[in-house]
Amino acid sequence: MEQLRDDKQIRWQHACHECDLLLTGGLAPPGQKLTCPRCGCTLHRNANHSVYYTIALSLTGLLLFIPSASLPLLKFSLFSFGAENTLMNGVYSLFKAGYIWLASLVLFCSVLAPLGKFLLLLFVCCGSFLGLLDRWVSIAVRWYQHIKEWGMLDVYMLGILVALIKLRDLGKMDVEPGLYCFGAMMLVANLSSLSFDQNAIWHRLALRRAQREKLT
Amino acid sequence: MSSKFPRKGIHEGLTSCLSCHQLIILPIAGGHCRCPRCGGRVHGRILGSLMLTWALTITGALLLLPANILPIMTVVYLGAGDPTTIISGVMQLYNSGMWGIALIVFVASIAVPVMKLLGLALLLVQMQLRLTFVPSQAMKIYRVVAGIGRWSLLDLFMISILVALVDMGFIAQVVAGPGSTAFASVVIVTMLAARSFDPRLIWDAYDGDLYSKDVAPETAHRGAAENG
Repeated sequence: MEQLRDDKQIRWQHACHECDLLLTGGLAPPGQKLTCPRCGCTLHRNANHSVYYTIALSLTGLLLFIPSASLPLLKFSLFSFGAENTLMNGVYSLFKAGYIWLASLVLFCSVLAPLGKFLLLLFVCCGSFLGLLDRWVSIAVRWYQHIKEWGMLDVYMLGILVALIKLRDLGKMDVEPGLYCFGAMMLVANLSSLSFDQNAIWHRLALRRAQREKLT
Repeated sequence: MSSKFPRKGIHEGLTSCLSCHQLIILPIAGGHCRCPRCGGRVHGRILGSLMLTWALTITGALLLLPANILPIMTVVYLGAGDPTTIISGVMQLYNSGMWGIALIVFVASIAVPVMKLLGLALLLVQMQLRLTFVPSQAMKIYRVVAGIGRWSLLDLFMISILVALVDMGFIAQVVAGPGSTAFASVVIVTMLAARSFDPRLIWDAYDGDLYSKDVAPETAHRGAAENG
């Protein structure tokens, strides 16, 4: 009982989300990451200048999204026939063939989720500067956490490479400029999710709320 | 109990929000509330986690049959072509000498779904039968299962690219097959299964907490106090 009363006085700051261990400090120093002493999961990764880097990277990603969605990625030619592949027309052909479930899955994982991730990150990071948007920013952070694992640009990239090699002996395959934009977008998407640190956003919101309470 | 094991949130009536990692005081009665910071739903443990994971794992295992038996695509070249299943696609790649690509496709579309289902089943059996196990190993299985799932969509992305690229009517055409829909469902269902499994249950079982949804956190706390 004595032990328990002592424990009660400790101000717990965090509980590990994978093993529920209570921790007194849950934030890493800048540029480092903190892992749970018990289960070893990453509790917090404190990237340098997280908010600014994430704004820059998600803007870059959105700009790169335009050419990689509109330009052809691959070109296949056989005798005098040729066909090009863009992000959208694979989805369209599947949809036309009646594979609606498959088409919507491919559409979601390769177009909607990555686009949504960039938009949400940009909104969250820019919105955290404006007091008006606090409520929407916190909702957007939650949505980002839900949508995060469904953006599969890297898997799609590997799919392109496999298709490239697989069709090599059937006809002539050409890499089109869209593929370079797509590759760059994939890199930027991974970097932006690495540099995003939601604790920086929460810290900013909490500071503003404290200031507002002090004023009133 | 309190001295032997590290303090856990559930003993203190505290829990962490799964989407924003904020520490939250659980209400005594219902055991769930909304996170005041991000608005997400918060439970002490994911509700019905084991049951849901079982259901999704079994669904995934059943769907794996049509996914492997039905053809996933047909390459029609000059009017003739055999439908290929996942396995025969890998064999074709291997026979034409591209064993590197064959290995990638094999790992992504056969090894990963099967390993995921086996891993989940192993974790679930461990949880249900309360077998003695090393929690760090169980955590390793959980992390691998949760991390690799997305790579099995590789084959489906490849099909969507091929269908768009090779569409020249009689000369050459790639047509998707019904197996691809089943395979897509396998991937989605196993990803959801990995999500619905709550890794904190591994540690609960290890610590010997008899926590279930009927035991309110407060009661668990009192039990801990009496034992300690």
